[in-house]
Amino acid sequence: MLDIILRFVEILIAGIFSGFIGSLTGLGGGTVLTPLLVLFLGVPIYYATGASLISTIATSSGSASAYIKDKITNVRIGMGLEVATSSGAIVGSLSAGWIYSHGLAWIIYIVFGVVLLTSIIPTVQRGKYEIPKPRPPDWTNRVFKLHGEYHDAALGRTIEYWGVRWWLGEVIMFFAGVISGLLGIGSGALKVLGLDWAMNLPMKVSTTTSNFMIGVTAATGSSIYWYFGYIQPFIAAATAIGVLIGAFIGTKVLVKLTNRFVRWIFIVILNFLGVEMVLRGAGIARILVVPLAYEYLLSTVTSIILMIVLLLKYGRRR
Amino acid sequence: MDMDSVIGMTLRIGVIISIILISIGVALIIVRGEGMGYSLSELSSMRSPVNSSVIPVITAINEAPSLDGLSLIVLGLIVLIATPVIRVLLGIASFAMEKDWLYVAITIIVFLDLMIAIFIIPMFLR
Repeated sequence: MLDIILRFVEILIAGIFSGFIGSLTGLGGGTVLTPLLVLFLGVPIYYATGASLISTIATSSGSASAYIKDKITNVRIGMGLEVATSSGAIVGSLSAGWIYSHGLAWIIYIVFGVVLLTSIIPTVQRGKYEIPKPRPPDWTNRVFKLHGEYHDAALGRTIEYWGVRWWLGEVIMFFAGVISGLLGIGSGALKVLGLDWAMNLPMKVSTTTSNFMIGVTAATGSSIYWYFGYIQPFIAAATAIGVLIGAFIGTKVLVKLTNRFVRWIFIVILNFLGVEMVLRGAGIARILVVPLAYEYLLSTVTSIILMIVLLLKYGRRR
Repeated sequence: MDMDSVIGMTLRIGVIISIILISIGVALIIVRGEGMGYSLSELSSMRSPVNSSVIPVITAINEAPSLDGLSLIVLGLIVLIATPVIRVLLGIASFAMEKDWLYVAITIIVFLDLMIAIFIIPMFLR
């Protein structure tokens, strides 16, 4: 009895941590949650991804209601891109079903790790500025009404912006959807990439719009996960509650934090978990078997190196 | 009250209802030591055989009023998945009120994707 309550609390805490990081970064709660559950709590990866996808809906809906009030989210851009994302999520979750039913779960570990690690790159590169340099509006801007404005509390002024290259956004979003369905995450990193790199939107608009989209994408994927049986009620219950609590705390902090600070912390976390997942996947597939202690050591060392590189390269610039 | 507030409110209420159902459900399975005939240790094991593919949604909905813990958790999870679906429906209404037909069409496509994932694909795979 007590051990069961304890197990629930463990999963709950993993959820709170993930929800907090997820809402600060716009990645959604799942990106950090699945590795935590799989690596440290011994949850089978299909239940972890199922729980994570469910929790992602909770984060997205919970914090979206707060952002709508602030009017930072661009609903038109979000909904337009959701066409590609939800189609992608169907493809991705069906692929996940195929992979698990063929006993190839290690593929999910490795892809998960690689996705975690690659989501570091845009995060580092975009660390330099918050509001993108305006690009000349193109035809998609006119047709799809890709403009808006919001009040930035940190900068203390109203920011006007417009989006370009809608088609490129759609392409990236389709892949974001596939990854979301495949790995049971919100795929927020790819969504932010599509929104701020491809469509040239300000970071805050990307983050909140991506957060809005994550809910719909995750609902699409969850429905298929539901049918496959990847949703375990006890685990999903604990993570849904935990992630929501974490996300709630995160939303309170987001509006106040400058973006650089947000990026730094989660770059290190992403790196650690990413290296871990790749090594674990390689271990299951018997490609490369590393003892657990070395696995953690390797992940920690690469994270420290990454942090030092980042500090040397960007730390002194203001 | 404008449409944005309605949407924001819907999302919030959806999440709150779902979390309340899930929390009560968890409390009940722990107190009673079972849910829908499964023992607590079966339900809570990390490699539990009890998952969404073995729990019929209809049964869960029918048993929820009799305060079965597992049914309440399942119901809560369904409400959670349904929340973005309702949000998309409200999006259609909202764009229609603005007479923005392009975005009404776009949002309907998103809704159809959801319907395909929820109803059509399980039907085909069965």
